[in-house]
Amino acid sequence: MAEPMPMDGVGSSMVLVADDNEVAQRLCRRVLEKAGYGVLVAADGLQAVDLALAQNPNVILMDVAMPGMDGLEAMRRIKAERPEMRVVIASAHSMASDRERFLAAGADDVLSKPFRLGDLVAVVQRLTAKPGA
Amino acid sequence: MSNRLPTWPRRGLGSAAGDPVPPRILSWHCAVYDHESSAQNTPVKGALGNQYPLTLCVLRTFHPARGGEAYGVLPGQSPRLGVVPIRTRGLVRRVIPFVGIAAVFAVAVGTGAPALLAFPLFLLAVLTVALFDDSGQLLAVGGAASLAILIITVTQLGPASNLATALFEIAVLGIVATSVHEVVRQAKLGEENAERKAVEIESIDERLRLTLEAALIGLGLVSADGHWVQINERLAGMLGHGRDELMHANLSDVVAETDRQHVEDALGQLERREIMRWQSDVQLDGAAETHIPVSLVIASVSDHHPSEPFLLVQATDISARKRIDGMRETLVAVRQVIVTANSWDQASPALLGSFCTNLAWDLAQHWSVEAERHDLRLQNTWHREGSNLEDFNDPARNLSIEVGGGLVGRVWQSGVAAAMDDLAGNDYEQASAERRVGLRSAVAFPLITAGTTIGVIELLGRQVRHVDDELITMLSTAGVEIGQFIQRCETAQALRRSEADHRAIYERSPIGIARVGGEGELLEGNSALLHMLEHDVDTMRSQAWPDLVRAYDQAAGRARLAPLLAGLPDQRSVQVRAATGSGRWLWLQMTATSIPDSSGRPEHLLVMVEDVTTVRETQDKLAEALDSQRGANATLEKLDRTKTEFLSIVSHEFRTALTGIQGFSELIRDGGIEPDEVRAYGGYIFNDADRVNRLIGDMLDLDRMESGRMSMRLADVDINDVLSDVMTRAS
Repeated sequence: MAEPMPMDGVGSSMVLVADDNEVAQRLCRRVLEKAGYGVLVAADGLQAVDLALAQNPNVILMDVAMPGMDGLEAMRRIKAERPEMRVVIASAHSMASDRERFLAAGADDVLSKPFRLGDLVAVVQRLTAKPGA
Repeated sequence: MSNRLPTWPRRGLGSAAGDPVPPRILSWHCAVYDHESSAQNTPVKGALGNQYPLTLCVLRTFHPARGGEAYGVLPGQSPRLGVVPIRTRGLVRRVIPFVGIAAVFAVAVGTGAPALLAFPLFLLAVLTVALFDDSGQLLAVGGAASLAILIITVTQLGPASNLATALFEIAVLGIVATSVHEVVRQAKLGEENAERKAVEIESIDERLRLTLEAALIGLGLVSADGHWVQINERLAGMLGHGRDELMHANLSDVVAETDRQHVEDALGQLERREIMRWQSDVQLDGAAETHIPVSLVIASVSDHHPSEPFLLVQATDISARKRIDGMRETLVAVRQVIVTANSWDQASPALLGSFCTNLAWDLAQHWSVEAERHDLRLQNTWHREGSNLEDFNDPARNLSIEVGGGLVGRVWQSGVAAAMDDLAGNDYEQASAERRVGLRSAVAFPLITAGTTIGVIELLGRQVRHVDDELITMLSTAGVEIGQFIQRCETAQALRRSEADHRAIYERSPIGIARVGGEGELLEGNSALLHMLEHDVDTMRSQAWPDLVRAYDQAAGRARLAPLLAGLPDQRSVQVRAATGSGRWLWLQMTATSIPDSSGRPEHLLVMVEDVTTVRETQDKLAEALDSQRGANATLEKLDRTKTEFLSIVSHEFRTALTGIQGFSELIRDGGIEPDEVRAYGGYIFNDADRVNRLIGDMLDLDRMESGRMSMRLADVDINDVLSDVMTRAS
């Protein structure tokens, strides 16, 4: 399990990466840290909810298919507590209907796996920049 | 034989031999003239005893053919023409005796002959006078003779001696003369009586003859063997032959062939005195092959002359009565047929036959109006037996007549009965065909109903005959009655057809039909109903039908409909389950309709019962099929969902694996990373690529398993490796 890392430079924005796949965790952490975000990592839904409520990340990158609580349920709980918290669903469920389903469930954006690294950074940038704009 | 029997004097009756109607005596005009006074034209009151009356009898007769003028003179004695005037002859006869007496007296006185000698001569003269019935003359002559005898005796002899002789002579003369005169007078009286009797007999005879002639019935006498002895004018006229001609014939010769044996038998019985009188209606042969119906009476009149029996024949012409009887019988027969017959086809032969039989026609033809074709068609014919008209009345001739064509066509056009007395003199277009078979006269009358002529009946006969107004009237009446009858028949037939159609619909309907009374009881059920439920009528009525009504009410209750007998269940159907007689179960659809009576109240119900078992079973099967189809569809949908799910899972697995491969390879490609990092990233990439490869291998195995081409590769496996690998992947 990755430890929460201190924020550096860029707007000291915090991104919570909730994914049960270790490869995906490492990839996101590597890319987002490089882009200057603080990265928290959760390996399942419950952990993601706890971390989100405890650390108040700016953006949550949430996988859907996770053991225990899935990403959608976790998102609903987080949104119930912190409605302003931005959640990006990053799922390998990539059918057209899935995207609609996730948006309808309250996602602020949807990122379909596999994704371009530039797209990941752009989504997070757009969501973290928003409150300041 | 005949010459011994009295014959009737025929003198003076001026009827010509050929006159059909004998003259009838109207009155006698009779005058009697005395021959002596006829010169002075003074009629005397009666005939004198010794003088024949000169009678002149003028008989006035009525003769219809001669304007009723009188003619003929009869009877009486013709005046005796060309004789010496009776006055002169009487004078001579009266003088001669006196002359004779005077001559004898003169001779006796002259010669002096004794009176005794002269006496016979005087006696002769007196006797001669006495022979005539003349008392005065006799007295005068006798006186003269007595005087002469007395004178002779006195002059010739002494008066005393001879006077006695003379007186004796005179007495003898007187007695002889008186006796002779009396004898002569008696003889004369006897003669007169005889003559009067003869005249009387002749008069009776004449009256009888006139009565016989004047009789309005045919009278005649025949001898015992049937020979005509006497025939009156009426009978001769009836038979259409002269009397002389008939006198050579027998009674049976004038009887029509059909009745001849009958009459001959009767004559035989009369001759054998088995009967004294015989009477019957027979046909006599008339002139021109006609038949005269007569009431014939033959009576034996020979009681007073047993040795010479003869028969009185009395023939009364009953053709008028027969004609009226025939017409009446025809109408009676027509009405009887009309009342008893059910159809025109049944009635027409009898009707046509009764016209021919009762009215003495040979052929009857019924023509009916063909409305569409605008012509008349020969429908039925009837001909008298043995009339040789079989070919003529063959309906196959297919004759048709147009409006106004011929007698029949004209009758059709006018609607009025008409007749042709003699086809020979006619332009009737059919006349030639009819003449060929010997038909000479025709009458046709229309069959009328509601003012429309629907047919014509034509009667044809072999005799020329006059059709009188009475017959026309009778036929017209019959025509109207027959027309109405035909109309009734057609209406009844149409009604019967309609009823039969409805009955057939009821009986042959594949749907069961039940007529139900007000209490729900089955009044009538058609064969389809009984067959459907496999019951006989009784079981149906007592058991099956009440069950069915209960089932109906239950089903109606479920469907929130009124029970069968409540209110007016109209055309509402319910389906009920019912068992048949053989135990099969049927689905029946029952539809009830109320049938109102004339006042509109429901009188009974008509319930249609339809076997819908097949329909219901088919419906049930369809429902089952639908269910199973739904199941199949659900399976398919589930399968579809599973497939989508599978695809989703598989694509998720692929994409998850590809996320690492693509992300880290992008990092490496973009550069700016440490060599250690590159190595670690390469490891991630390799692991994920390997995972993708295994995923593909698993999918192919799945496909092989599905198609049954899975081959097992047997090898030793470390189960711990497998489990840890699974656990790694599941995390």
